[in-house]
Parts: sequence; C-alpha cells; structure tokens
Amino acid sequence: MSRGTTAPTPPGPADPGQTGGTPLKLRLGVVSGDLALGLLCRGAAALVLLMLVALVGLLGHAALPSLRAFGADYFTSAEWRPNELTRPLRGPDGRVVVVDGERQTETLPPRFGALPVIYGTVATSLIALVFAVPLSLGAALFLVRVAPRWRAAAPVAFLIEFLAAIPSLAYGMWGAFVLVPFLGRHVEPLVFRALGDVTWLKFLFYRDNPVTGQSIRIPLEGRDMMAGGLILAIMILPIVTAVARDVLRAVPRSQIEGSLALGATWWQSSRAMLRYGRAGLFGAVMLGLARAAGETMAVTLVVGNRVEIVPSPFASIQTMASLLANQFNDPVTEVHRSALIGVALILLVISLLFNIVARSLVVGGQSRTALSD
Amino acid sequence: MTAIQANQLDRALVAAPASSMAASRAPLAAVSAQRFNAWYGPNHALVDVSLDIPVRHVTALIGPSGCGKSTFLRWINRMNDLVDTARAEGVLRLNGCDLLHRRVDLVDLRRRVGMVFQKPNPFPKSIYDNVAYGPRLHGSPGRAELDETVEACLRKAGLWDEVKDRLRDSALSLSGGQQQRLCIARTLAVNPEVVLMDEPTSALDPRATTRIEELIRTLREQYTIIIVTHNMHQAMRVSDRTAFFYHGRLIEQGPTDRVFNHPDHPETRDYVAGRFG
Amino acid sequence: MSTLHDRAKRLTSAAAYAGSIACAVVIVGVLLLVLADLVRRGAGGLSWAFFAADAQGEPAGMRHAIEGTLILVALASAVGVPTGVLAGVYLSEYSKERWLATPVRFTADVLAGVPSIVVGILGYELLVVPLTGYSAWAGAAGLAFIMIPIVARTTEEMLRLVPHSYREASIALGGTKSQTILRVVLPGASGSIVTGIILALARIAGETAPLLFTILGASMITRDPSKPFPALTHQIYVWANSPDPSRRDMAFAGMLVLIAVVFAISLGIRLTVARAQRRR
Repeated sequence: MSRGTTAPTPPGPADPGQTGGTPLKLRLGVVSGDLALGLLCRGAAALVLLMLVALVGLLGHAALPSLRAFGADYFTSAEWRPNELTRPLRGPDGRVVVVDGERQTETLPPRFGALPVIYGTVATSLIALVFAVPLSLGAALFLVRVAPRWRAAAPVAFLIEFLAAIPSLAYGMWGAFVLVPFLGRHVEPLVFRALGDVTWLKFLFYRDNPVTGQSIRIPLEGRDMMAGGLILAIMILPIVTAVARDVLRAVPRSQIEGSLALGATWWQSSRAMLRYGRAGLFGAVMLGLARAAGETMAVTLVVGNRVEIVPSPFASIQTMASLLANQFNDPVTEVHRSALIGVALILLVISLLFNIVARSLVVGGQSRTALSD
Repeated sequence: MTAIQANQLDRALVAAPASSMAASRAPLAAVSAQRFNAWYGPNHALVDVSLDIPVRHVTALIGPSGCGKSTFLRWINRMNDLVDTARAEGVLRLNGCDLLHRRVDLVDLRRRVGMVFQKPNPFPKSIYDNVAYGPRLHGSPGRAELDETVEACLRKAGLWDEVKDRLRDSALSLSGGQQQRLCIARTLAVNPEVVLMDEPTSALDPRATTRIEELIRTLREQYTIIIVTHNMHQAMRVSDRTAFFYHGRLIEQGPTDRVFNHPDHPETRDYVAGRFG
Repeated sequence: MSTLHDRAKRLTSAAAYAGSIACAVVIVGVLLLVLADLVRRGAGGLSWAFFAADAQGEPAGMRHAIEGTLILVALASAVGVPTGVLAGVYLSEYSKERWLATPVRFTADVLAGVPSIVVGILGYELLVVPLTGYSAWAGAAGLAFIMIPIVARTTEEMLRLVPHSYREASIALGGTKSQTILRVVLPGASGSIVTGIILALARIAGETAPLLFTILGASMITRDPSKPFPALTHQIYVWANSPDPSRRDMAFAGMLVLIAVVFAISLGIRLTVARAQRRR
C-alpha cells in the first residue's frame, strides 16, 4: 500500500500520522503518451484539411493563366480548339475570298471554351437522373416495405452493395462493348424509323455542319450522349437505391402507423413516407448527381469524345471528366494544359457543391443533428 | 479546464486544521468534504456539503434521483473532469490531501480511488485481461505476479471458483451479477484505498444483488467503501454510516442505525419512510 | 360514389405496389445482365498465361499489372491507413476541440466526393512534374488521397459505437487518455474498422482515373517504385481501347479478376457480420 513518492511539494495531509494515508502524487507535466497520441491525431486531422487546401490551391494556381488569358470566353465560348486553325477566308457573302486566283486563308489562334464539356456533363448527368431516380426510389420502397415480407431484402441489398463496389471501369467496358453496339444497331435506327420524319423532332437526327452550315444526318452509332447517360444511370442505381433505402428506413414507424390506422392504402402510406423523408431523398439524388458528374472511366469509353454542342442525345459529346482523361496526358501547349486544369477546377467545384448539399440533407439515413453528438 | 476552475480558489497546499477537528469526532476520515459546492453549467448540483467518510467503513449515500449523491461520488475520483461544464469549489480531501488541486496526478488519484459503475461494464476482453488491465496500465508486471494478482482479486470478489477454469473466455459471456463482481475484482487489482460504488446492483436480479451485498460486507475489512444506492433496505443491510442528500444538500448523516430509526430531520424521516423518492 | 372512389384508391395503390416491385426487378435484372456479360466475356480471356506472363510475353498476360496493383495498394495503405485511422480517432475522441474537429469532419466528407480524375491531376501537378516523374510513388499518393477520408470517417463512426462505459471504466482505473484509446477504444472497434479498411482497399484497387496521369503504365514486371509503373486497372483501360481483339479479351479477363476480388470481399464481410450478429 505504501509507495515512495518523489513529488516535490505534495498537497500533503495536515497530519499524516493521524490519517495514516500516503499523500497524493503531483503531476509532473503532461503524460508523454497522451502528448504523443494527441499530436499524431491532430497531425492526421490537420493533414485532411491540408489535402483539401492543396487540391483547391494547386489547381487554382495552375488554372489561373488560362482563366486570365481567356476570361469570360472560357465560360461562354462553345469552341474548344487546342491547335491553331487555318481555314479558307470567307467574305461577308459566305464565299471563299480569292485574290489573284489564290484562295485566301485565315489562321485562328487556339481557343478554349469550356461550355461544350459543361454541357456534356450536365446533359449526361440529367439523362442518368431521369432513368435512375424513379427506379431507385421504387426499388428503395420495395426494399423497405415489400421485401422484408419475402425475405428478399438481404439478398437484394447484398447484390446492390456489391454492385456499388464494382470499379466504374467495368461499367465503362460493358457500355463500350455491349451497350453501344446495341444502341447503334437496334435502338437508334428504330427510333429514327419511328420519329425521323417528324418535323419538330429533326433536331434529334440532324445537325449543322460547323464549316459549311449545311444540315447533315447524325450518324446513329450508339457512341453518344444517350449511351453516356444510360451507363451513368446504371452506375448510380446502386448508390441512390442504397441511400434512399436508408432514408426510408429511418422514417419513424409512428409516421406510417398513424397513416395506416386512418385506413390509408399502401400507396398513401408510402407517399407519406416519401414526403417525410423528402430532404434525405433529395440528398440521395444529389449524391447520385455528384457521382455522375465526376465519373470518368465509364463515360470516356462510350460518349464518342467530341468537344461540341449538338442538342441531340444521339450526338457524340465530351464531358469534363472524359475531356481530362483524353487530353491531359499529352497537352499540345502549356496553355492547353492550364485550360484543362481549369476544367478540372470547375469539375471539382461542381461536385463539391453537390456533395455538400447532399450531405447536409442526408447523413447515413439519419438527420444531421442526431449524428453530431 | 475543470481542474483550472477548481483551482481558482487558490487553496493552500497544506490542509486546514479543520479536518483534524472533524477527525476527532468521527473515525479516521478517508475522504472529507467541507463546504463543498459543485455545478454542472448553471445548475448548482451540490450546496455546501460537509461530510467525513471514515476509513474502512461502508458509507451509503442515499436520496432521491437528482439529489447530487452521484455527483459527489464522481468528484471523489474526479470523473467529473470528463464533463466540460462541471465545476467545483470548496474542500475535498483524500487522506487530508486536497484532491481538487490543479496539479494532482489524476492517474494516482484514480488508482487509489476505484469505482464500480451502475451497469456492469467489463471490457470486451477475456476475464483474465479485465482484471489484469489495471496492473498493466501502471507498470509491466511479470507473468507470475500478474497471475497471482488476478487470482487474489477474483477470490476477493468471490468469483474465482466460478471462473477459474475459463479465465480466457470473454468477460461478456458472464451473467450480469458475475460481470459486476468482475468489475469489482478489476477495481481491486490496482489496490485502491477507497472504492466508490454507484448503484452497483441496480441492474441486477435479487440473487446477484445479495451476493454483491455480502461481498461489500467482507470488503470493508480492507477498503473504505462509499456506495450510492436507491434501495434503502440495501443501505441498511450493507452500510455502517449513511448520508442523506436532498436537492443538492446534505440533510443528515450518521450511523446507519440512527439515520434510519431516529432521524433528526423531517425530510429524512419522510424519505426513509418511503413517502417520496 | 364513395365506393367508386375507394376502388380507384385501391387500384392506384395496387399499381404502385406492383410498380415498386417492377423497379426492383428492373434494377436487379439490369445489374445482373451487366454482371453476366462481364463474367462471360472475362472468363474467355482467362488462362494460365494471364497470371504467369507480362504484357510482352507470348502469349501475353497481366502478371505485371496484378503485381503492380498489389504494390500500389500496399504503398497507398502504408500511408493511408495510419493517417485515416488517426484522423478518425481525432474526430471521435477529441471531438470536444470543435474548432478543428468540425472543419475536419466536413472536409473529410467533402474529400470523399472529389472526382478521382481530379485527384489524378493533383498527383501530376504536385508530384509527377516537380518531384517524382511518372512513378508508383505518385500513383500510390493519389490512391492514399482517396483512401484517407474514407478510412477516417469509417473509423470515427465505428469508434462512436464503442460504449462510453468502456472509456469510463478505463479512466476510473487510472488509465490515461492514450492508454484508454489504445487499449480499450480501438480494440473495441477493431473488427469493424478492419472491415472498413478492407472495403477502402477494394475501392482503391479498382480506381483508374487517379493513375492515368501518375504511373504511365509499364508492360513488364517492375519493382522499382520510382519508375513508370503498371497497374491492373490502367492496363485494362489501355487494352480495352486496343484494336486487337485478343488484347480486349485480356482486358475483360482482368476486369473479371477485379470483380471476383470485390465479390469475395463483399461476401466475406457479409458472412462475418452475419455470424457476429448471430453470436450476439
């Protein structure tokens, strides 16, 4: 019981002989183990902050030259042309200017407008949402309200979680070698035969030749915006379904029981459930949108990779992510590289925004307040 | 944070003579409080509590929920330091040493003031590792020494015969009562002087409760025990002295017999008669 | 009148009920179709050479790429696991330090949503150009970047599930904060943290985009992390774009291997979790 104590001036007893106990020890500075672990943990936490700072700071710095050089043109121009362009000079009447029997040419400098890839990203993501959201919500309702009765919840949930973990490259390959040929050979010709003659749907199948301005048929090869949107839809199905399921599962039983007790049908009580969880469900959709917008590998292999704006789902396009995957490896000039980093920065900001909104609405199916302590 | 606030009193390092006066009336005091006040944020949880806890006796703290008895307990081993808003003023001593002092080594204090909690909380480790946890924290005891300590503590806690053949099993495989006795053995393994028990049987069935109560009676030979309990029969059965808390104040204290049979204060009389609480 | 209305209501409800089942069937059907196609095409490309030869072999294989991925994942987790776990410990055990904990938690959430292609560009700008050149170092750093936020948040959530009473018991026995964390809290959650780490490993093993601009790829076995490096996903991507059908078959076979690994991990975790729940 008695231990020697080496503390310098202990807050000792008034009369140790009377109480008979050993005086309390004094602390000799901070415990070294606590200090070390505290420093390590704080260091790791600070590193996480630093990662984001480095990401935004470095990309911002590297993108600055191009943003400065092109200014607003960067966001408003529909032309992405890393090389100089030499083309016949046309007069105001649209005819090629000929002087002394020689056709005159003009040389345009490289131009970097991010609009086409922003358009490509937005369009493919929206197509993905149109297909994926209704299916996911329906399936989430199934998992929460139907499947438990059939003991189907666990296997279906396993399948969905497993498929969410499959590398996106796998979906890209499937898209390139199965979906694209299928669309090109079967679906799109069928659509054309059905709708090709409808006047107000001409924009689906015809586009303007950028040089001559003539209207030309879009080749229906399947390597297009539609393929990108569908692949993205398939890719985000698992994640949106899983999050929506968690959100619906977190709806208090009392909400549903109250509604059922009033004689509500299955659909009415389900609607009550969807309404109750609408913030979280919107979060799930945003999470899917963020995934779709930032996805690279799946899209690159199927969208045809042409940097232009053609308002048809059957035209080849380029998204921000696929542009980076295609061009960043060997940029033509430093300006080109800087412009690409600018695209990366836009992509980063967009997906960060989506993620922040999504996460403020849904945290693992629970409300935000419940989780923060 | 709390330690600094507690020290704002700038109390003398050496105890005031008051404690020796108190000691002359009662048996030797292991823990002694004088005009002790405690707060959780703005909530004044303990008001001017002065109480001497005698060495090697069982002292029961009784009173209705929220009366401050657990708060008092949790200041004796400074568990309240974990609560951001907790703050204390006044004098609280262990063996006459100011235990609220800013520079008190909390590791040493808590080693000497063990605690048993309301719900059995063994670690999800083996029975052996649970008991060995404390000794391993405070040094690297040899194999044989550790075996000896574990056996001795399990024997003291009356658990040895039940678990000696399965020391490597998970502590979570034990029954609730066994788990609580394991927690007591775990506390004894660091050789404390004082053992705090915060309603140690409230989560147990009657039979397990009886075993714990018997155990408390035997432990008082070696340890100073302070037990918080809601159960007045339990207080009568196990304690030598009883202190009655009500609304953060110490209403009455004295030998258990007297407090229960001839209380001085009407509140005490009503409480022990079961009129409220 | 009211019966008509009731019937309409019931019909709508029945239609919606059938609709939700149909949604699930469509999703499961489409996903199974994708999976079946991938397995069918991949199985055709598998052979002994696939695991034994490198890209220059006759016949060619993917041994170099498989080894490359293993090394990249090992390097990434050597940094990513400790950093992520420590950051998670910070978020859970030091959360009273709100001035740092709150922004770190937010940042970790946000980082988990950064498109991986952007991470690749960061790796190129931060490491490849000024420091390392195309190398395993740069690739592993990119993968670690993806891994750290995931591991940190998983660790935090798992540590929060450890009952507070364990911490109290340890502290009441005189345990210091570090002793309590290292001997009680972390061991108490070790199983689920390991699960989370394994899932993160599977995730980064399947990443392609962060490697596109950092490792460059290589066609034979290399163990020198400071040189251009092969990786399974990178090789798959290159060969999927190849005009040579036999190369494309190899790409599908490589993908099948990856999918099989992910499946084994998912199933293993599912089974252990189920068993642990049954024991409880």
